[in-house]
Amino acid sequence: MHSLIQLSIVVLLLPLLSFVILIFFNRKLPRRGDFVGVGILGTAFAISAYIFWQVVVQAYDPAFRIAWDFTWIDLGNVPGVGPLQIKMGVVIDNLTSIMLAMVTLISLLVHLYSTGYMAGDKNYGRYFAFLGIFTFSMLGIVLSDNLFSIYIFWELVGLSSYLLIGFFFEKQSAADAQKKAFLANRVGDIGMWLGILILYSQFHTFSFEEIYANLAAGKFGLSNAWLTAAGILLFMGCVGKSAQFPLHIWLPDAMEGPTPVSALIHAATMVAAGVYFVARIFIILTPDALHVIAFIGAFTAFMAATIAITQNDIKRVLAYSTVSQLGYMVLGLGVGAYSAALFHLVTHAFFKACLFLGSGAIIHAMHHEQDMRWMGGLRKNMPWTFATFTLATLALAGLPLTSGFLSKDAILAGAIGFANVEGGGIYYLIPVLGFFSAMLTAFYMGRQIWLVFFGESRTHLKPVEEDLHAAHHAHNSHDDHSDDHHEEHGVHEVSWNMRAPLVILATLSVFFVYSPDPLDGAKGWFMKMIPTPATVVGSDNPQIGSMSAGVADPHLAGVVAPVEAHGDAAAVGHGEATAATASHGEAKGGHSYSDPRQAEIVHAGHAAHYTAIYISSVMVVLGIGLAFIVYVFGIIDPDKTALALRPLYLFSLNKWYWDEIYEATFIKGSMAVARIFTWFDINIVDGIVNGVGTLVRKFAFLNDSFDKHVVDGAVNFTAFTVNTTGAVLRKLQTGKVQSYIVMLLLVVFGYFVFYFTRLIH
Amino acid sequence: MEQLTTIGLNHYLTISAFLLGFGLFAVVTRKNAIVILMGVELILNAANLNFLAFSKYNGGMEGVMFSLFIIVIAAAEAAIALAIIINIFKLFKSVDVSSIDSLKE
Repeated sequence: MHSLIQLSIVVLLLPLLSFVILIFFNRKLPRRGDFVGVGILGTAFAISAYIFWQVVVQAYDPAFRIAWDFTWIDLGNVPGVGPLQIKMGVVIDNLTSIMLAMVTLISLLVHLYSTGYMAGDKNYGRYFAFLGIFTFSMLGIVLSDNLFSIYIFWELVGLSSYLLIGFFFEKQSAADAQKKAFLANRVGDIGMWLGILILYSQFHTFSFEEIYANLAAGKFGLSNAWLTAAGILLFMGCVGKSAQFPLHIWLPDAMEGPTPVSALIHAATMVAAGVYFVARIFIILTPDALHVIAFIGAFTAFMAATIAITQNDIKRVLAYSTVSQLGYMVLGLGVGAYSAALFHLVTHAFFKACLFLGSGAIIHAMHHEQDMRWMGGLRKNMPWTFATFTLATLALAGLPLTSGFLSKDAILAGAIGFANVEGGGIYYLIPVLGFFSAMLTAFYMGRQIWLVFFGESRTHLKPVEEDLHAAHHAHNSHDDHSDDHHEEHGVHEVSWNMRAPLVILATLSVFFVYSPDPLDGAKGWFMKMIPTPATVVGSDNPQIGSMSAGVADPHLAGVVAPVEAHGDAAAVGHGEATAATASHGEAKGGHSYSDPRQAEIVHAGHAAHYTAIYISSVMVVLGIGLAFIVYVFGIIDPDKTALALRPLYLFSLNKWYWDEIYEATFIKGSMAVARIFTWFDINIVDGIVNGVGTLVRKFAFLNDSFDKHVVDGAVNFTAFTVNTTGAVLRKLQTGKVQSYIVMLLLVVFGYFVFYFTRLIH
Repeated sequence: MEQLTTIGLNHYLTISAFLLGFGLFAVVTRKNAIVILMGVELILNAANLNFLAFSKYNGGMEGVMFSLFIIVIAAAEAAIALAIIINIFKLFKSVDVSSIDSLKE
């Protein structure tokens, strides 16, 4: 076993150790054992950082991969299934080591931050235990080398998310939210499991590598539609975990959990698990499945962004922003911009964790006030939070010089390239939605920054009734905190253990961490280390096949033409674009793709890089500009605009009425179905059971009377006969000697009479 | 002697039958246990008479031997029966066989 594998297993098990120690002994330890959690996560991060250093920095090889597995369960040849052998294993490649470092780092920072944020909570120790088991499950997903163990850890992540969302389970809303999250995730997981089974039915293995190899060898026995179905079903797992439309509804409600949890789980890691999983299965996805994924991602990005612009709760804005950004990642994978999507996953994890922790600091300082309408002017009171929050906001909005800019533009460039290659008008919807969402992102983040940090404090504007409610709520959740501060309403900067994570995360949101060139992420180590893997599912589109023949043509290969996003590009234009991108890709010393369609898309994405930069920069400036016009200069009054566009405003404020739609359809529907089943149960099933019962009873009565009358009758009759005979015979036993003698004489006499009459005859 | 010799087997048998009849009559009708015992003696002696009569007319000694045995046994029987009757009397203060029917219960 490679030493890195051993280390990674240690990293995996350390948070589990933390969980075990804290769940059982937190009351016996000083400070409820928070130092155990922080210390163990610190160790885990140190080891992960070492693995990261060894793999990404030292080896610096895009194809780096070491793996180790063992047979966990061997059931031999199961009838009807075939050989059933389940292996468990660990794989370490560039993606894994980056994810390891990212997850442990954010988890460590959240642990540290929570020592300040959660201080004084009555379940303080249990909180750290839950963080431990979550980190364990997440690392399990990251390290798994097969679908089966990924599924196990997937469910564990769902469980720990459930526990953490409902951490304040005494609140009804938190209990509802955890239930909703769990159910929404279940829906996705069922699909994922079916997808795993489709693959298993063909290859009798769960291992990624074996599935890739089998598919590449063309051993998939069913039609391509089944492969597409498998891909989409597996993607359903991502839809649930990564909160994609139509299962996005749970994520905003999950904000009922403690804010550091939102940062860890619902911004940085768990929701990224879905994207990570799609990346793992990326090369087995058929073009059709990828199209579905791309459209779902684009729609999710757009929809969530439109909702975010009207939300008032600081965490809900961030939640919808997270959904929107996850949409970007999924879109990126769908359009084949694999590296860009994973790049965005990592950058987003850092700046969104920073934003959530920042919002946690604000909420903490504001005594559990979450409504942005009653904030304002916090930049003076909380300079550290302000600075880090703003930096992360810029990264989220995608301003140049930030990490978000690099990754988001790479995705958008990929989307343009994809649309160019696919060539259909409908495919341009994907980049268009992407750019539009970028503008909305800039707008709602500008709005948030302004409402929270600028202007004057609006605490006093808050209606009294709501204030009482909030105060009550604050008392409920954090008694010892709110009591001493509540009177003065003073807002102070948070303590060092909450500030330090903010600063670290904000630092990781700057471009130079990832790429020396502030405008091109492809020049950075990340995109070089995570190249788009070659698909094992050949595209069967004849049009693209002919186009790739054009690439091979030496006459066209030399032609370099700029690629523009024109929907009406003619076939010739396509050929040129193809040639350009092909040479472009080769110039980068990149990879050769056996599949022509994939080669097209990857190269078109590179070519569209600058186009994407221009468009998205304009969009971001537009968005921020609009936010300034509305909130800073007051040229457009937001309230009047809302009134003027009331239907649209309400549509956005009520989150596109998805909850209501689901309430009216799925929930009402399942309730109706449940009622039908209840009726069926009561009347038919119970009826059958009761009928059988009644029949049995009737039969028992019959049997009983048979028993009583016939069997007992026979017995009694025998007894009666014996009795009667006895009674009669008993009369003969007079006890008088003389009567016996008379009888004796009579018998002798009778005998003589009989005998002599015989003689006479 | 002539007249004596005319007494044939039938006379003996007739007397024996009468003895048997009286004996039986006494056994069946009397209530006194002693009288019943006396009836039994009559029956035995009826049998003795038969044995002797047949022995005489048959010319053998078997009948004589039998009757001797019967006399001995009748003596023993009488002794036992009287002892039983004395015990019964001690128990029931009566020798009336019709009142001694406790086996019936």
